Amino acid sequence: MVKIYTSVCIALFLSVFGSQSLYAHGAWLKTANGSYFVFQQDTTKVKKDSSAYSIKTDTIGQMVRALQKFKTVRDTINIRSSTPVPNLSLQQIIKGNLAGVYVKEPNGEPGTEQSMIIQGASGQLFTKKDIYALQPAIYLNGVPLVADNPFAFDVQKYDFNRIGPATNLLSQISIDNIQSISVIKDPFELAKLGPNAANGAIYITTKNARAGLRDISLNSYFGYVTPPSVNTVNGVYENNFRKPFYQKYATAENYAGYASYLRDSTNSAYYGPSNWNDVYYNTTPTYSADLGITGGGDRANFRFYGSGTKNAGNADATNINRYNLFFGINMAPFKWLTVSSNVNAARLDRNRNRSLRDRFAETRYIPDLTSPLSPNAAIYEGFLEENDKSVDNNRTNILNGNLSLTAKISKLTLSSSLIFDYNEGVRDYFTPSTLMDGVSYVSNYFGYSQRLMINNTASYKYEINKKHTVNFEIGQSFQGDTHKYNYARAYNGPNDYVKLNLVDGNSGDDDYLNTLAAGGFYVFRYIDKERNNLMSFYGSAKYSYKNLLDVNVLLRRDGASNGQPDSRWVTTPAFNGTFNLKEQFLKSNTFFNSLHLSAGWGRNIRIFLDDRYAAGPQYRSENGWFEEPTIPGYGGKLGINRPYDSGFIGYGIKLPYADRTSITLDGSILNNRINVAITAYNRDNKNQVIGVPVPFETGYSLNYQSGMDINNKGLELMLNALVITNPKGLSWNTTVNFNYNKNKLTALPNGLTELISGNDKLVIGKPVGSFWLYTNNGIYNTNAEVPAGRTFNGIPLKAGDPNWADYNGDNRVDNKDKVLSGDRLPKFIGGWNNTIAYKSFDLNFNFIFALGQKAINQYEATRYGFINREAGNDINSVKEVSSWQIFDNEKTYPIYNPWSDVDAYRTDQDLFLEDASYLKLRSVTLGYDLGKTSLFKKSGSAVRRAYLYATAMNLFTITKFSGVDPELVNYNGYYDGANLTIPRTFVLGFKLDL
Amino acid sequence: MNYTINKENMFYKTAIAVFVLLITFGNFSCKKIDDVQSTRLATEETNWKTLEDAKANLLSIYGLLRSATVADNAHWLMGDLRQGDFTITNRADLKAIVNGQLNASYPVINRITNWRPYYAAINAASLFIERSKEIQALDPRYTKINNDVDVAQARMLRAFAYFYMTRIWGDVPLLTSSHDGEFVKLGRSPQQKVLAFATNELLAAAKVVPFRYGGTDPIMPGLYYGGNWPSWNGIIFTRLSAYILLAHIAAWQGNYIDAANYSKFVLDNQSTQYFVDGANPLDYIDMNALTENQNNYSPFAYKRANLMVGFPFEAGNGLGTANGHLEQLTLAEPFIPKSRPEMFVSKDTILKAFTNPFDLRFSVDPVKGLYRTNYFYGVESELPIFNKVKVIYPSNTSGNVTLFSSSMVFSRMEEITLLRAEALAVLGLKDDALNALNRACLLRGISFSTSTPDLIAAIFQERRRELMGEGWRWYDIIRYNRIKNPQRVFTTKNGTAMTFKQFEAAGGIYWPVSQDVINANSSITQNPYWQ
Repeated sequence: MVKIYTSVCIALFLSVFGSQSLYAHGAWLKTANGSYFVFQQDTTKVKKDSSAYSIKTDTIGQMVRALQKFKTVRDTINIRSSTPVPNLSLQQIIKGNLAGVYVKEPNGEPGTEQSMIIQGASGQLFTKKDIYALQPAIYLNGVPLVADNPFAFDVQKYDFNRIGPATNLLSQISIDNIQSISVIKDPFELAKLGPNAANGAIYITTKNARAGLRDISLNSYFGYVTPPSVNTVNGVYENNFRKPFYQKYATAENYAGYASYLRDSTNSAYYGPSNWNDVYYNTTPTYSADLGITGGGDRANFRFYGSGTKNAGNADATNINRYNLFFGINMAPFKWLTVSSNVNAARLDRNRNRSLRDRFAETRYIPDLTSPLSPNAAIYEGFLEENDKSVDNNRTNILNGNLSLTAKISKLTLSSSLIFDYNEGVRDYFTPSTLMDGVSYVSNYFGYSQRLMINNTASYKYEINKKHTVNFEIGQSFQGDTHKYNYARAYNGPNDYVKLNLVDGNSGDDDYLNTLAAGGFYVFRYIDKERNNLMSFYGSAKYSYKNLLDVNVLLRRDGASNGQPDSRWVTTPAFNGTFNLKEQFLKSNTFFNSLHLSAGWGRNIRIFLDDRYAAGPQYRSENGWFEEPTIPGYGGKLGINRPYDSGFIGYGIKLPYADRTSITLDGSILNNRINVAITAYNRDNKNQVIGVPVPFETGYSLNYQSGMDINNKGLELMLNALVITNPKGLSWNTTVNFNYNKNKLTALPNGLTELISGNDKLVIGKPVGSFWLYTNNGIYNTNAEVPAGRTFNGIPLKAGDPNWADYNGDNRVDNKDKVLSGDRLPKFIGGWNNTIAYKSFDLNFNFIFALGQKAINQYEATRYGFINREAGNDINSVKEVSSWQIFDNEKTYPIYNPWSDVDAYRTDQDLFLEDASYLKLRSVTLGYDLGKTSLFKKSGSAVRRAYLYATAMNLFTITKFSGVDPELVNYNGYYDGANLTIPRTFVLGFKLDL
Repeated sequence: MNYTINKENMFYKTAIAVFVLLITFGNFSCKKIDDVQSTRLATEETNWKTLEDAKANLLSIYGLLRSATVADNAHWLMGDLRQGDFTITNRADLKAIVNGQLNASYPVINRITNWRPYYAAINAASLFIERSKEIQALDPRYTKINNDVDVAQARMLRAFAYFYMTRIWGDVPLLTSSHDGEFVKLGRSPQQKVLAFATNELLAAAKVVPFRYGGTDPIMPGLYYGGNWPSWNGIIFTRLSAYILLAHIAAWQGNYIDAANYSKFVLDNQSTQYFVDGANPLDYIDMNALTENQNNYSPFAYKRANLMVGFPFEAGNGLGTANGHLEQLTLAEPFIPKSRPEMFVSKDTILKAFTNPFDLRFSVDPVKGLYRTNYFYGVESELPIFNKVKVIYPSNTSGNVTLFSSSMVFSRMEEITLLRAEALAVLGLKDDALNALNRACLLRGISFSTSTPDLIAAIFQERRRELMGEGWRWYDIIRYNRIKNPQRVFTTKNGTAMTFKQFEAAGGIYWPVSQDVINANSSITQNPYWQ
């Protein structure tokens, strides 16, 4: 498919530049400036030639943009102030700057997965798979990018990282090539985009081919990523930390079991210098360079863009290299026919961390953990030397693009486009035996995701008379997704030099292709494939009355192959209307320059990411258990059975859908100096599927049923003000977006009012991200303080145990006494962006904030609960080298009996629940535009802009959170301290536009 | 703004035609939506159709029951820790079990007290019994006798699951059919009813199931699913397995007459499985096979006919796992790179249990002058390693790769012989009991004479030694106390001393059921001792 596309592309290219038989016509469609309304006004250069950076339309461009569907866009990024900031991924670019979008960056390691939630959560947040289902659709020039499918988690034991390179695919976005990034939240627009956009959509338009003077831009930056300041500790601190526990509660037997690595205080490995941070954290360079060329005439034009970026993390030698190539062409072989195409290719090479937790999660093998990593740099370096023998290649190749043909024949426009997105990931990983108690490990992953889409639309503009116009449009599209991977893990190679899983390829030998041959690795293999097709038809009509009223109506019918046979095809409507209040009521008013009221309602179906739901009662290969989840059968043969472990799926599951309503009032006042918009929205996600607990005697733990409804309501305020404007002097432009979201579970299947799922509980009327916790009221200092007969799940409470509240008074603290409190997702999010300009200088600050979310500090819980942690040799017992430090605002907790059977430092109590709200200064940029100085002007060269800048990122955080950074909380609301910090970065760069 | 289109233009016509074609070709097929079959699972349309489906569905019943018994090492945690021979080094959850705090809120205890995995195996078996006959009509390769034997195996597995659960929890809900698609809510049934059901199922299955598969057994000759007896021995249950289970259920219920009869059948038929059909023989095993993974006979290291009731793990089939084996708890240096074992048998206990100086399992070797290491390594040190079972990938007695492939052995010749000896002793047939006891420990270097003062106690002492680490100790203690009914203090609860009878009456010999089970089904009540 890719080959066909590239050959067609080459053929078209040749036909444009080689053909001599083009017609020449002088008259072209006149362009209309301002067919885009950009909300974030770029007002620092309002008096200058706006062609340099406002959107210019032209003949071909207009047709191209007609395809891209969005003509009025409000929620968009201020590209001008975003380009000097050295962000890597799309999520980082939009964090805090797009109203309603909550970006979660739980790990500062470059290229790791990040999540975005638009206007509140549409589903539960229990597992990593659930987070994948909440992500919005990302459109890149009209191509809906296909994301990694979470079906790979079915073969994983731990879900810290997905198998494979686990690289954030949205790191392919290179900001210097971007024209605009907007978030689509309007119910009608989302309904028009279809089921892909059920969770909202982020619409990215790159700079595209356009006619005009040749336009070259060259950008580059170089800077450093700096390590955080760390207070390191060694064994002495740890000993002193443990002393109070031992003094209060230890028996002789407990003393005998004292951690062996701490016993000998002359051991310089643990009692020596604690300077691991010198080796672990580094000031690392980060840099980038890119070149973009746009040019061509009216009949054919092109854009080429190429970039290379190295984005580095400040710890563990992590970094990511991104190479991006973009090519776009527009051609008009005939006056009425336009052919345009663009192709975007990216390559991401990631160097991952060397943490123990990620290594053991990948190898699923936990060696003896009684001696943790030493904080002494000399010894830690020895570990790193051994680590150098390991191999960790993470490569992702991405190719996406579209080819479209548009024909405009009098009032009828026909267009057809072929859209594709292909991404593949390869991970080759080898760990030497010296790091895993004598067992080497190799794993190889190859996976790809591919999306091919064919879109056809026809639209017709019917003018009833001068006042009334109706635009009709019908469309059809077919989308086919395929996801596949091959994965093999293998243990115990012959030595540390053989890093490949080799088998005997000689067909004459006994051991031909035998992976169990002596000296070979012990191999486990996994493969999986999933296909997902979507067919859509829609018809829409837009009625315009003068410039006062616009009403849009849409009806669409979608068929998803991931639905059960009786509910694959669904018809959904949508409509919206915009009323120009100023023209109607306030024509003479000078205070308001424009005032619009718009309202809309739309329904989207949500398609499942997993094809299990379509199958109904099914049989899978599930013969494993909690600790060993991937056992394929019995007796050397495959065994299939009903999905007892993963949950029963019956008939009667319908496709879930989302109903959105929104009302927006937006206007400009004071001579267009202030633009304000207020939006109120309500979204009902209905008929979602959730696993309902069933009596275990049936063999199943869950029965997946439809019927979960979630409601999100919210208010968004966007304000853009030119506070001071003085072209010759100081001007100050400020933009604020402030968003409130309230999330509530409104229904559960079978009329249930609450549902318990592992350690989480869903209750109608409460947010889906709530924590379910015991209330900790202190400590029982003596046995006399314990109320008579009080037990914790049947275990009698004693002195040294926590005083947990017994709400229902049955003298037994158990699940019934847990309460829902806190929320993983914030109530208020937003950002504040300021640009202050003086002559050729400008200064930009960007603040972001998220308020109201809470997190469980699991890091402290495992630190205080060291007895249980060290006794169980499992993934939670892992002590990273970065745990040899103390944090400035660490809290102190009561000294409970760590040997007690009640697990005093359990994470499901509110003792560890903390407020993770934050306000951060995300970036500060100081820039100077040389292009305006007399130097360049006098020489008459074509330099339009020569902008020099310095940017600092992540300067400070205001938060009450006691961990290192409130953003580093995992998707499940737990802070485990294992993720890398988001570094403070300083870069110097230039932007040259010729 | 105006331009004319030359309608006669050939280019124009062909281009429009191309356009129309583009819009209408190819992608208008609703089949692309309605006919996408998943390649990751089998649906009701694709299962229960062929011989291969029968094999896959049958073997998964074994797989599910194996998972249920060995997950989180439950077989050994439940069988060997309570009043057992093992001392725990560091693990608080295991210490809680040893101390009798069976409702302690540790994740491992929470998982092993959840009986869902057993019910998954039971449901799979019931589903197989109900659905497998559909295959006979569709695939002529699936003969009636094949189906009957498969259904009999499913019945045996279901009965075994119920028996296993009854030993652990006492009264358990009894589901005799799959209730497919309905999620019935049943309360606990009295254990006698459950065991009666299990006994009937085993008796019915025992009439059908052959002694061996894929070979020359007259009941079902010929290859079984294309495999011969050496490929099937030790993997699936045979007629002897059925009788062993019947004997155990009878013994558990105190019905020693039946126990003696059923175990007699097993011992009498052992010789018919001796060197047949090219497989390794069913026989008593020597020390090499018991502890040193000898290839032909070891039921721990390989799937052999000696594994009469149990579930093997085959390293060669991708089943070496870390969890689910005794070795994960008991082995350490020098066998695997681990500094301390999680549980061990203390020197004191070793010396009390192994009193005979000729015992090949543990005694001083007269040739070398050192302690034998078959069972215990490093007895002189503080932490002797219990290394009776040590099957380290692929089947070595030591290694770096801490992936183990030892089988879960429920019963073997020595075990069923000792049960027979117990039954005969209880019935008063001392001479026969003594013969059986001596046969069982023939290859262990010891023997018992007619002057043994307390034969029953001697038999249970021998069980303790022979079956140490095989998940029997707690259940043997229960049967012993039921037989002897001593008046001494068995245990104390909250300061109150209890004899065994009182403890049993209060429900203390059983485990509590996980709170998750009760939350999911309100008809289930917690065992009163654990409330």
